[in-house]
Amino acid sequence: MKKIFLWLLILFCLSPPWIRADEEAVRYLDAIEKKYSGLKDYIADVNVHFDMETFKTPDMQAKLYFKAPDKMKVESKGVFFFPREGGYFNPALFKKDDFEIRILEPVAEGKKDIKLKIVPKKKEKMGREFVLSIDRNDNLVREIHTSQFDGRETKAKIEYGRVGSFELPRYILLTLDLPSVEPNEKRGFGPFEQKSERVTGTIEITYANYKVNTGLKDEIFKQK
Amino acid sequence: MKLFWCETYKTFSRWRTYISFSAIAVVIIVSEIVMKLSASEILFRMMKIFQKDFLISGNVLNGWFITGFIMNSLHIHIPFLITLVAGDMVSGEATSGTVRLLLIRPPSRGKIITAKYLTALFYTAGLVLFFAGMCTFLGLALFGSGDLIVHHYGKFGIVLIPEAQIPLRMLLAFAAAVWSMTVVASLAFLFSALAENSVGPIIGSMAVVIVFLVFGNLPLDFFRNLSPYLFTSYMNLWQRSFDIPIPWGSIGRSAIILGLHNIGLFLIALIIYRRKDIKS
Repeated sequence: MKKIFLWLLILFCLSPPWIRADEEAVRYLDAIEKKYSGLKDYIADVNVHFDMETFKTPDMQAKLYFKAPDKMKVESKGVFFFPREGGYFNPALFKKDDFEIRILEPVAEGKKDIKLKIVPKKKEKMGREFVLSIDRNDNLVREIHTSQFDGRETKAKIEYGRVGSFELPRYILLTLDLPSVEPNEKRGFGPFEQKSERVTGTIEITYANYKVNTGLKDEIFKQK
Repeated sequence: MKLFWCETYKTFSRWRTYISFSAIAVVIIVSEIVMKLSASEILFRMMKIFQKDFLISGNVLNGWFITGFIMNSLHIHIPFLITLVAGDMVSGEATSGTVRLLLIRPPSRGKIITAKYLTALFYTAGLVLFFAGMCTFLGLALFGSGDLIVHHYGKFGIVLIPEAQIPLRMLLAFAAAVWSMTVVASLAFLFSALAENSVGPIIGSMAVVIVFLVFGNLPLDFFRNLSPYLFTSYMNLWQRSFDIPIPWGSIGRSAIILGLHNIGLFLIALIIYRRKDIKS
């Protein structure tokens, strides 16, 4: 028995740095969650501008409703396409219980940004990996890079503005790199068909007229 | 002008003329009701490719979309309905034995055939506009209005036209559709001028349209090089009305090529008919 305890003690002392790094990584996310713990809900006007060869649309406008922890809805007069990955701000998106979180690069002295690699534990979210670039000084997520098993890649660069006591996204630049045709959607004469090219482009999302903590009711988020 | 109205009266007095209108009415009413009942399925299939990456809100499946969706069948079905009447315009007189009676009247052969040709064009325009009008009005009544999404199935891309711009673009699309269908009418009319019965012109015109469509769509270099010489390659000009920006140059070029086909086919029919030896 004593030997077992001794071995456990040795193991603890020699615990690999990545285990400690994981704890450190979680601390960065905890700091962000804590910073936004007072944010119960928000409403904002959203303008989406597509700069993609295959998306020929004028700017789209909508009203976005968010309620913590994860309720979100968009309301628009016309047809509205809103990016699922990186399109809106949810400070509690990456909960430590649902994800494996690691520091991607060692933290350099004097460098304010840190990169975290986040892999979902839940089955329904598997097949995706996130790399977050966090501003350690201000506890803000500056970049979210999402890659999916089917080759989908999105990168969101977020600029913040002050709304009351919160810093909320003012502008998000989303860079997409997606397969143009789903594997089971391919049509044509097989050997004659050329390999489909990827769809790339950017989406600019601008937020304005924030209203924070207005006490949004759950009914708003129920689908009609 | 009087000849034209006489021909129009004759054409619209035949029950055969209304087969096309009835067929279109049945197709549109049934398909729009079925679409209304299975709206969620259509939406799912149509937007499946975007669902992973985008949250979509708004009335996507609206009357304008339904109109565009049904109009895509224009290439195959409407030409057949047009040939039913245009292919009978001249040969029908021979079949019914009225050709001699018609030609001994004071108007010249040239005037008679021109009046018949204009009637064929009038019928074509009427049929396409009936089709377009019915699609639109029933579609708007059942599905409401909204922005128009033009999406090619299986491709990750859309063209979104704001609601305010749609009526004008639809009018342009309908006009372009009428213009492209007049070539089918001209072809059937030419065959009708050559034949003594109506079956040959109807089947012959459809055969030409189908063969040209197949050749124009085969993914081989030989057929790709051949495609600019086939009138069917320019018949989808109505779809260009929903591009951003509207490619006026390409639309104009296609319209001119189709117009030249119309003139050419009619002139051949005119020459043949003027020289035709009436034996029946």
